[in-house]
Amino acid sequence: MSMMRGEHIYKSFGDLDVLKDVNFEIAESEVVCVIGPSGSGKSTLLRCMNHLERISSGKVFIDEEMVDYRGDNKDLMKIEHKRVTALCMELGMVFQRFNLFPHLTALENVTLAPMEVRKTPKAEAIEKGKAMLKRVGLSDKADEYPSRLSGGQQQRVAIARALAMEPKIMMFDEPTSALDPELVGEVLEVMKDLAKSGMTMMVVTHEMNFAREVSDRVIFMDEGRIIEEGTPEQIFGKPKEARTRAFLSKSNVKI
Amino acid sequence: MFNVNQIARFGEGTLVTIELTLASMFIGTMLGMLIALGRISKRPLVNKTTWVYVWIFRGTPLLLQIMIVYLAIPMIYKQVMGERMLMPQFLAACIALILNTAAYLAEIFRAGILSIDKGQFEAAKAVGMNHTQTMTKVIIPQTIRVVIPPYSNEFIMILKDTSLVSAIGLLELYRVSKEMSSSTGRWEYLFIAAGVYLVMTTFATWGFGKLEKHYSRFV
Repeated sequence: MSMMRGEHIYKSFGDLDVLKDVNFEIAESEVVCVIGPSGSGKSTLLRCMNHLERISSGKVFIDEEMVDYRGDNKDLMKIEHKRVTALCMELGMVFQRFNLFPHLTALENVTLAPMEVRKTPKAEAIEKGKAMLKRVGLSDKADEYPSRLSGGQQQRVAIARALAMEPKIMMFDEPTSALDPELVGEVLEVMKDLAKSGMTMMVVTHEMNFAREVSDRVIFMDEGRIIEEGTPEQIFGKPKEARTRAFLSKSNVKI
Repeated sequence: MFNVNQIARFGEGTLVTIELTLASMFIGTMLGMLIALGRISKRPLVNKTTWVYVWIFRGTPLLLQIMIVYLAIPMIYKQVMGERMLMPQFLAACIALILNTAAYLAEIFRAGILSIDKGQFEAAKAVGMNHTQTMTKVIIPQTIRVVIPPYSNEFIMILKDTSLVSAIGLLELYRVSKEMSSSTGRWEYLFIAAGVYLVMTTFATWGFGKLEKHYSRFV
């Protein structure tokens, strides 16, 4: 069953066409990595699926339910706002720049949305929040403010914050790009654990080794289109397209 | 130089000044917040209306605004409705100060909200929070820290500008000291009033400093 599907997605910012007829889907428990050069539209695709950007035309489905639709005449089909919000809650989002709430402690960052949005009682939210922080290895940092955490720790709190909403799909937008090289590993470890636990994941990344090791499927994008997709063995082993090969050799991946 | 009666008059004047300041700032803050939200709203009508509000109340003298509320509005009311309107001095003073400070505060709050990283709005949206939740739980708490210094500034301005309401006969600190000075021919009263204003503004500065420190604990 497809957890998330995009059909004929177009997205433009003014005159700039960022996505051109992108079709893809992610099945339950599947880990899909999206790779490609900067400006290829991979982050925009993820943000469109997550309703952080509105598509210019096409259809977006989450859990087989349509959450966004724009036809050729750019008319937005009426989809109940509440329904969209509810479906989007099934998506957990991890940003490149963490975007933790700086005025809240690590634990408060994790418990805020469950308490506010899901109306989870405080005691229960705290208990779950602590469990989430434990899962990302940060039990001892529960009462620290983000400013006192390293980039890697902040990103792990951000993952815990997204997990606390019990999403069906976790989406990562270049989660390690803003990190110092020595901090990348700890975040990738958490993501690997998550993948092993059966979480459905969409990961936009520049970490080729991670994509190769963890993903079930790799999507290569360039200039707003999906150029090639397949298993990591296929994409990294014997890429069909010249552009994929060129990109991989630039990224120092041995084919 | 001071007898009991004079001390009582000074005390009352000081009290009126404090009451005017606190009442105006309290209600002005709420109104200013609403106007700030209107100013950042994408709805053209709300956006334009609040822009006009700020344009008018920042662009005309406070003294004139006080006079309009106290004199012009009852006159207009009488012309239109044909009967007299009761406009107490204190109420008129409060209304004018509130309307005026709300315009300045709205700009302070707007700048504060705009200073928050766009990623905060996105993160709040991504965890399913609606606009009200995002504002009250994520954006405004972060805004407080940023707006305390300019807010403190506005508070002190209003504290001093309450002296303008002496023009409609309200016996606040400045007017009390001026009347005592001119009726007795002694200049000291004016300096004592200055001293009392200084004590109040110093106290306010100190208080806001504490508050700023409290709200900066996460930095």
